[in-house]
Amino acid sequence: MNTLLSAGLILLLGFAGARLLKYIRLPSVTAFLLIGILIGPHLLNLVTEEIFFASDFFSNLVLGVIAFSLGENFRLDELKRGMKQVMWISVTAAVGVWLLVSLAILAYFWIVRLPIYPALVLGAAASATAPAATVLIIREYRSNGILTEMLLKVVAIDDAWCLILGAMAIAVANALRADVFDTAIIFAGIGEIVGALILGAALGYAFSWLRRFVKSSEELLVFIFGFILLNVGLSITLKLSVLLSSMMMGIMVVNSARENYKFFEILRTVDSPLYLVFFILAGAHLDFGILIKMGVVGILYTFFRFVGKIYGAKIGARISGAPKIIENWIGMALTPQAGVALGIGLVAKTTFPEYGDYIFTIIAATTVLFELVGPLLTKISLIKAGEIAPSQ
Amino acid sequence: MHHPSSILGLAVLIIAGYAGAKILRKIHFPAVTSYLVIGIIIGPSLLNIIPHVVLGLSEVISHFVLGVIAFSLGESFGIRDLRASGSSVIWISLFEAACAWLIVTGIMIGYQVMSGLPVHPAFVMGAAASATAPAATVMVIREYRAQGPVTNMLLRVVAIDDAWCLILSAIAITFASGLSAGSMKISTILHMVIDLVLSFSFGAAAGLGLSYLSRMIHNREDFVTVTIGFIMLIVGISLKFNLSPLLTSMIAGICVTNVSRNSSLFFETIRGVDTVFFLIFFMLVGANLEIGILPRIGVMGMLYLIFRVIGKFIGVQIGALISHTEKTIRKYLAWGLIPQAGVALGVALSAKTMYPKYGGIIFTTITATTVVYELIGPLCVKFGLRRAGEI
Repeated sequence: MNTLLSAGLILLLGFAGARLLKYIRLPSVTAFLLIGILIGPHLLNLVTEEIFFASDFFSNLVLGVIAFSLGENFRLDELKRGMKQVMWISVTAAVGVWLLVSLAILAYFWIVRLPIYPALVLGAAASATAPAATVLIIREYRSNGILTEMLLKVVAIDDAWCLILGAMAIAVANALRADVFDTAIIFAGIGEIVGALILGAALGYAFSWLRRFVKSSEELLVFIFGFILLNVGLSITLKLSVLLSSMMMGIMVVNSARENYKFFEILRTVDSPLYLVFFILAGAHLDFGILIKMGVVGILYTFFRFVGKIYGAKIGARISGAPKIIENWIGMALTPQAGVALGIGLVAKTTFPEYGDYIFTIIAATTVLFELVGPLLTKISLIKAGEIAPSQ
Repeated sequence: MHHPSSILGLAVLIIAGYAGAKILRKIHFPAVTSYLVIGIIIGPSLLNIIPHVVLGLSEVISHFVLGVIAFSLGESFGIRDLRASGSSVIWISLFEAACAWLIVTGIMIGYQVMSGLPVHPAFVMGAAASATAPAATVMVIREYRAQGPVTNMLLRVVAIDDAWCLILSAIAITFASGLSAGSMKISTILHMVIDLVLSFSFGAAAGLGLSYLSRMIHNREDFVTVTIGFIMLIVGISLKFNLSPLLTSMIAGICVTNVSRNSSLFFETIRGVDTVFFLIFFMLVGANLEIGILPRIGVMGMLYLIFRVIGKFIGVQIGALISHTEKTIRKYLAWGLIPQAGVALGVALSAKTMYPKYGGIIFTTITATTVVYELIGPLCVKFGLRRAGEI
């Protein structure tokens, strides 16, 4: 099987699968993941090695595209009123999960007399959400309303909180383990965020300035992809957060000129094959066998992450005086978990040689679960909030 | 595979190509030529700043892009338009391909005899000379929004002369290897006939399948996914079974044009997204051009360069006269047929593998002339279309 044949099959099977599973009301994201599992190396093995190796490339590109599009939701002129709520909800949802998951797992480790520091890292990973899956659900069902708007903003910025929590957790865990508190880890975490924001802002500024040279709509696409790739490439090279820098670039672009709105529209017309491939490859990488290794810790993680999201977000919504609909449903809409959590798992793997593998396995296993179930829960909460027609 | 550098590399490729084309436009370079030139500059021959991973994509990208272009060319073959000018397309393409073949072959034989070399490589070089380069031609037409009878004819001729080239080259290679080994292998021709039939039927089947599927697509986003997926599938399967991806994609495009009710949607969808691919494609072609080979072009290469063009001009004249086409087509069409690219290289490559003894010299000549034609060709296309008043 050659690369093009495999790529063609991925696109067409993804399309057909999403179509078929629509009949049982499964969202496309879930359909893509399932098709990915089906054609992945564990089952049909229709994905060539070349494409499989390109997964990394793809997922970075797609996360860049998603985060850039999320920037569109942060228009300063309409942001003033909602920003307080976004901040509160995103912070309490992230911190609530972190506290609950950390404490629950910590207690368990303490009872079974294991070292307790991995609990902190697991809690931090649990605080992350999955922008790509969330955006895709919203788009597929043309969800529209205050919950949708809030959700788009929260998934965009809570990655920043997750990164901070992750850095702190790893630093503290390291201190507990080796008795040295390495502030460098925290600084590195903050540097990753600040650096990403600076890079994204700078490129967003350059983007808006150079835009005047773009004449035709076909060129626009070349221009946008050039910038997104440049931003992602630089972020990776400089070890900055791809999600945050891309989002910052989007925010700069959307706020610098009204004509810039069209960039996001154009991107939307062409990006669906990218998402399809992204989720199919994510599915192909999902390792079902790992679910068995979840154990008590995995179950605690799953349960308390879910509870933490719902009540954490609720508290933030109540404090900031958000509408009742948001208070009730945003927590459940935030359940998908994906790459950001795995990223923390990966860092832990290298920082803690003894328990890193264990931490990573737990995060990977729960990600399998949350990736498959999360989009459904997001869809349900949007239906309950009345922002998706229930017939869908 | 090292990923960070591949993303950054791709970004540099796109941005350098885009910015370069913008700047070179000021001195009236068509975008294709700019991409090629910049590709050469940042490619391994000179600056060498394209990461290997990205260069490794060349083959996949070029197959895909050629498939996209061939598929889009199918759009010019609507039955209704063809009724008006169908026979002239066949005549002109046949003669421009055959004349280039005959004249280049004749000159090469003359040269080989004079310099005391065996004559058979001449046939293969002649066959390579019959090919043109759809991608470069289409790009120029699109960039300058050319419109008119010459443009329409050009789109059709570059689409089908690849079929002639395949036939001619199979005959030529059989003949040449027969002369060199003393025995003809008719099986080569038989293979070619089977390949052609298979390409046609597979392309048609795929086109019908796509037309059928299109009824189930309701939004534009899905159109992008399905169209791209289908083209990849067609090209992938063609490669797997050694069919010509150009022919199968084109036949599929023709089928879609004539069968599907909303066929224009397919082509519009492709046009909406393909600019990025074209840019990457031509940059990589430029990066892969072996400019180091130019000094070895020799007398043979020079003769090839000159007489291929003469063959194209004479062939167009004859074809146009026979089919009584308009004067502008007769006068200016041949300019559009000067580019030469992958198809010719393909002929040279199969010659190299099928009879290694003289394949090397054929390959060098064709590669070197392709470098020249790739760079000059788009300018000639632009010149011809401008003279015809269609730009």
